[in-house]
Amino acid sequence: MSGRLIDDAMWLAGLILIGTILCFLLTPIAVTVVMAFDSRAYLGPLPPPSLSLRWFQQFFSDDYFLRGLSTSLKLATLAVAISTAVGLATAFVVERAEFAGKQLLISLFLSPLLVPPVVTGFALLLFLSHLGLINGFARLLCGHIIITVPYTIRATLTGLGGIDRALTEAALSLGANEQAAFWDITLPLARTSIISGAIFAFAVSMDDVAVSIMLTDATTYTLPVALISSMRANFDLSIAAASVMLMLVTLGLIVALEKSVGLNKAIGQGVFRS
Amino acid sequence: MTAMQDPAEPVVVFRNVSKRFGSTAAVDAMSFTVAAGETLSLLGPSGCGKTTTLRLVAGFEQPDAGTIEIAGQAMTGRRPYERNVGLLFQHYALFPHMTVAENIGYGLKHRRWPKAEVGDRIAEMLRLVRLEGFDARKPNQLSGGQQQRVALARVLATKPKLVLLDEPLSALDAKLREELGLELKQILSTVGSTTIVVTHDQDEAMSLADRIIVMNRGRIEQLGTPGEIYAQPRTEFVASFIGRTNWFSGSGGTRLVNGVCRLMTDNGTALNVKTIDIPPAGGWRVCVRPERIAIMPPHTATTDPDVNVLTGEVVSIVNMGAQLHFVCRTSEGRITIIQPNRQGSHSKTGEAVSLQFGADDCVLLAPDAQ
Repeated sequence: MSGRLIDDAMWLAGLILIGTILCFLLTPIAVTVVMAFDSRAYLGPLPPPSLSLRWFQQFFSDDYFLRGLSTSLKLATLAVAISTAVGLATAFVVERAEFAGKQLLISLFLSPLLVPPVVTGFALLLFLSHLGLINGFARLLCGHIIITVPYTIRATLTGLGGIDRALTEAALSLGANEQAAFWDITLPLARTSIISGAIFAFAVSMDDVAVSIMLTDATTYTLPVALISSMRANFDLSIAAASVMLMLVTLGLIVALEKSVGLNKAIGQGVFRS
Repeated sequence: MTAMQDPAEPVVVFRNVSKRFGSTAAVDAMSFTVAAGETLSLLGPSGCGKTTTLRLVAGFEQPDAGTIEIAGQAMTGRRPYERNVGLLFQHYALFPHMTVAENIGYGLKHRRWPKAEVGDRIAEMLRLVRLEGFDARKPNQLSGGQQQRVALARVLATKPKLVLLDEPLSALDAKLREELGLELKQILSTVGSTTIVVTHDQDEAMSLADRIIVMNRGRIEQLGTPGEIYAQPRTEFVASFIGRTNWFSGSGGTRLVNGVCRLMTDNGTALNVKTIDIPPAGGWRVCVRPERIAIMPPHTATTDPDVNVLTGEVVSIVNMGAQLHFVCRTSEGRITIIQPNRQGSHSKTGEAVSLQFGADDCVLLAPDAQ
């Protein structure tokens, strides 16, 4: 009897824990969302007396934010395009070739996941200034490629690994050369994995602060960096409005991912491969 | 490539072909030929080198030594797509993102068939494998048997000089296997293709092949027709790999008249064996197939002095439907007998019986070197 009681108590404790974690995760976000629609011109106590879109208007009338948003979008698009191509090329070669130290090489490609982003950013800043590269956008692009490439490599490797080698061999025995087999067979079958890697990479690039903050210059900065700087200068709720919009973008990406591959599969594939 | 091929010229010639992986020889100095229109089977346990042989022919591996010729041309250094060899994969390897018609047309596209003829050829192949109207289906909308037929159509569409089948029936369940085996054989003979079948399944080899190569450790153990391989195995390995076998062993013996030898087993039984060979001095093994042994009431007299008689007791009977499998205990150990399951009574468990088999039912072999 006592064994059952303990089991039941464990279940209850588990449920309470999950509930607490959910509250802890969701309450701040819920507060931010509500505040973003606050109609008051100052930071007042909850709940707001009435709702409005004034903070969204303020965000879109602020050049500083708009500039950051535009840089972020350009940067994310370009960085994802490059790191997807790099990821595909790297994963394809690593998948095909058999050599000693293959696992080590894969780990090396994934190491930006383990190195703290601040360190990556700082190291890159030093390195690029030595090279004489001082253009803000170019520096940011380098940084964002480095932090997004592990995601595209990993996702592509998983995708390629799931393709039966016999399919390529079948294409070869039917008269296609290696290159034709790649375009006809390998690429179409790895497509969903490549896309899920690219979506992850886009989200990582849009959300990054630690690397970006090291590499920005006075005129080129990303949206998250702009939000942080403006928060230091004058705290107002347009940051809450921006946060709501960033969340919507992320939510949109998650929905896209769910529709194209299934979220569990994508996250499962994202970093570790069984 | 010559359009007209001399039928006497073999389509495939293997000359002392070897392939090593690390320190093991997967294929060890293999030499054989495959005649035009013939179906040859490479049969052996897993790891015997049959799959490596197939991959050497297809061009996925290059031999370390020896030469392979296909249709009179040396294949050295040729890539898979530079040979006209069709390969039917064990799990079919249909392209999952392409329709049936696109799968069948894939080889035609890359072998540069005239565009105008591609549609007709696809339709012709679908007719050949009895899948008309399936053009627009995707592979995952087909049953296992249908997938196999599409894969076969894809292989045959480009009229390859040689067709390779890798365990063609093993992915199917037993009933379908028999059905598709017959169909496969019929289709291959319709198009008159020269074929190599790789399999570990003796039934598959026996039913599809004109000749069988039994392989072991990268070498040819025996090459012969299915009948020869079964009835006259030349090594202990072949005898035990193909079918069931009862073994007797001993050393020495005396030659009688009529090509019969009288051998004394290690257990002291005299065995009459019809053979032209001299019993090997170092010891011998005699193989007797279970269906060659008759079960008689005890003390049944025989008039033929060459017939071997063992007395024993039935230990177990297994009813396999078409056949009855008896196990009898004798002075030579346990002997398995297979008899057709005919009407009427048969010996029961525990009964004393007399087991009889002729001198020509015995195959004399030298023990395999270990």
